[in-house]
Amino acid sequence: MNAHIPPTETAFERTRGINRVEVRSGFAQVYVTGLGPVPSSSRLEVLRSVAQAGVSIDFLKLTPGGLSFLASADKAEAVDQALKDFDAQVLRGRSIVLVHAVNIRDEEGLIARIVREVISENIAIDHVGDMHDRLLLVMDEAGAQRVQSRLNKVRLEVS
Amino acid sequence: MNRIKVMKFGGTSVASSESRLAAALRVISAKEQGFRPVVVVSAIGRRGAPYATDTLISTLREIDANVDPEPRELDLLVACGEILSAVIFTHTLKTLGHAAESFRGGQAGIRTDGVYGNARIVRIVKTSLIKSLEAGRIPVVCGFQGTFIPYEGAPGGELTTLGRGGSDTTAAAIGAALGAESVEIFTDVDGVKTADPDAVREAPTLRKVTYDEVAEIAHLGAKVVHPRAAEIAMAYGIPLWVKNTFSDDEGTEIVSRDSFPGRRVTGVTHTGKLVYLQFDLSAAPSDADRTALESCIFETMARYGVNLFMLDISPNSTGFAVPRSQYHVVENVLDGLVIPLGDAEKRVYLFQIGQVASREVETQAALLGGIGEVRRIPAQLTEGCTMVSLVGHEYMQQPGLFLRVLESLAEGNIPALQTSDSDFSLSVLIPESESNRAVKLLHDRFGLSGVE
Repeated sequence: MNAHIPPTETAFERTRGINRVEVRSGFAQVYVTGLGPVPSSSRLEVLRSVAQAGVSIDFLKLTPGGLSFLASADKAEAVDQALKDFDAQVLRGRSIVLVHAVNIRDEEGLIARIVREVISENIAIDHVGDMHDRLLLVMDEAGAQRVQSRLNKVRLEVS
Repeated sequence: MNRIKVMKFGGTSVASSESRLAAALRVISAKEQGFRPVVVVSAIGRRGAPYATDTLISTLREIDANVDPEPRELDLLVACGEILSAVIFTHTLKTLGHAAESFRGGQAGIRTDGVYGNARIVRIVKTSLIKSLEAGRIPVVCGFQGTFIPYEGAPGGELTTLGRGGSDTTAAAIGAALGAESVEIFTDVDGVKTADPDAVREAPTLRKVTYDEVAEIAHLGAKVVHPRAAEIAMAYGIPLWVKNTFSDDEGTEIVSRDSFPGRRVTGVTHTGKLVYLQFDLSAAPSDADRTALESCIFETMARYGVNLFMLDISPNSTGFAVPRSQYHVVENVLDGLVIPLGDAEKRVYLFQIGQVASREVETQAALLGGIGEVRRIPAQLTEGCTMVSLVGHEYMQQPGLFLRVLESLAEGNIPALQTSDSDFSLSVLIPESESNRAVKLLHDRFGLSGVE
């Protein structure tokens, strides 16, 4: 047995808090409103129209009288057409800010801290979503650049 | 040093002398096949068992339920469960004729960042484990714990526990440090299944899943292997398996996306006892006021460490789900909260949780009436919710997927309260009472019974 084994050390888990912030551009945010007091069946109608147009959607949110979702910017025209019978608004020039933070859902209050940080920059957020290792925020392209810069600066270390 | 295999045994695998014997025989079998096993153990038994973590914690709570234990003391206490388990397992191996020695996390060289109750592993000094292996012994390491050394030469160090899924993380980290051929997580099910067998009895065991899928599945309900362990295994390219201590099923191999393209839909999970809150911000006359109110909500949630799910930020409302265990915090701090805004024209906003105003809210409204106009920010409250999720790969981006999911639930008369999605999952918030039925409906709709 070698009594002088060097205590080789291996680094493991990434540090807490934000590890990386990236921006993906080229999206359109769609809001559909006025679906009435019991909008569940109307929501299915909206989704059916979008699916029949061959449009893939992300970040679906059910709002009190309607819904919202994100689509690729090159499908914005197709969405406009598909939803011409609904009260729909298509906002082009949207970006997704991906805030990478390992195990984000288990770090108490981290999601709220990131969202608060973004709101404090007076940037309108269209959507917030999360995965096990990242938070996703949808906003206009200029806002996305500002948020990336802001979050890279503060990093939000968790202690 | 080669042919190292890390074998981690969960609570049920070390719960009784019979189960420990089954686990020990698996270790001996690996040794006889030419591997050098390194064992990681959890505390003995699950919730309610005499030495399980929650039982140990309850001994402190019984003294005075209103006094929270110090995190440092709590860590020292709960770490006893794994220490006991490791010593008993080591002795079991010895009685079977195999030299073994137990290690606390710190003795095994696991160094952490010093956060009590939720520490992260920063490095492993593998000297003691290598010495043990070279001496022909089987190291048995306490899962879920490590030591924080505040400065070089500090005596002893502070024992810290690794939080949820800590033993899986220990196993993966040791596997990475020692360059193990594989890390095997032994539990009491055959591997990662397409759904919780309580909801879908015939749910098949998946033979392969990707690290990303298993991380998402684990976060969304299936407690087979913790995402932190998957992440370490992925970063170091260590093959990770989930196997059953009590059956010869081959288990589930967790692999990288390069070696397995994934499948359309991998599984349906359900998780969480959640409360959903939707704040109506339409009383705010300007974007500035709405932003200030949103900021106040999230500032408060951050300050009190509340975990948020299913966030929805819309022009006139903000909503999110919180764990039921944290709802009392939200109610305590937000119901009746007063936010004054405006310079020349004072506006006073008063938060109200639920349709019916509490006595505190009514009292605040009466007292504030003399100051100026009081605008209420009501939050619609939906208790008893859970999250049902579809997990998979690129299929999540297919046109019509949301439609198929929501149609399936509508056909089953299950209301969808909110949705969220990511690259690997699509989740729907539903009434908790409908969770098993929703899982079964989606499992059937996406043909998961035939998945391998």
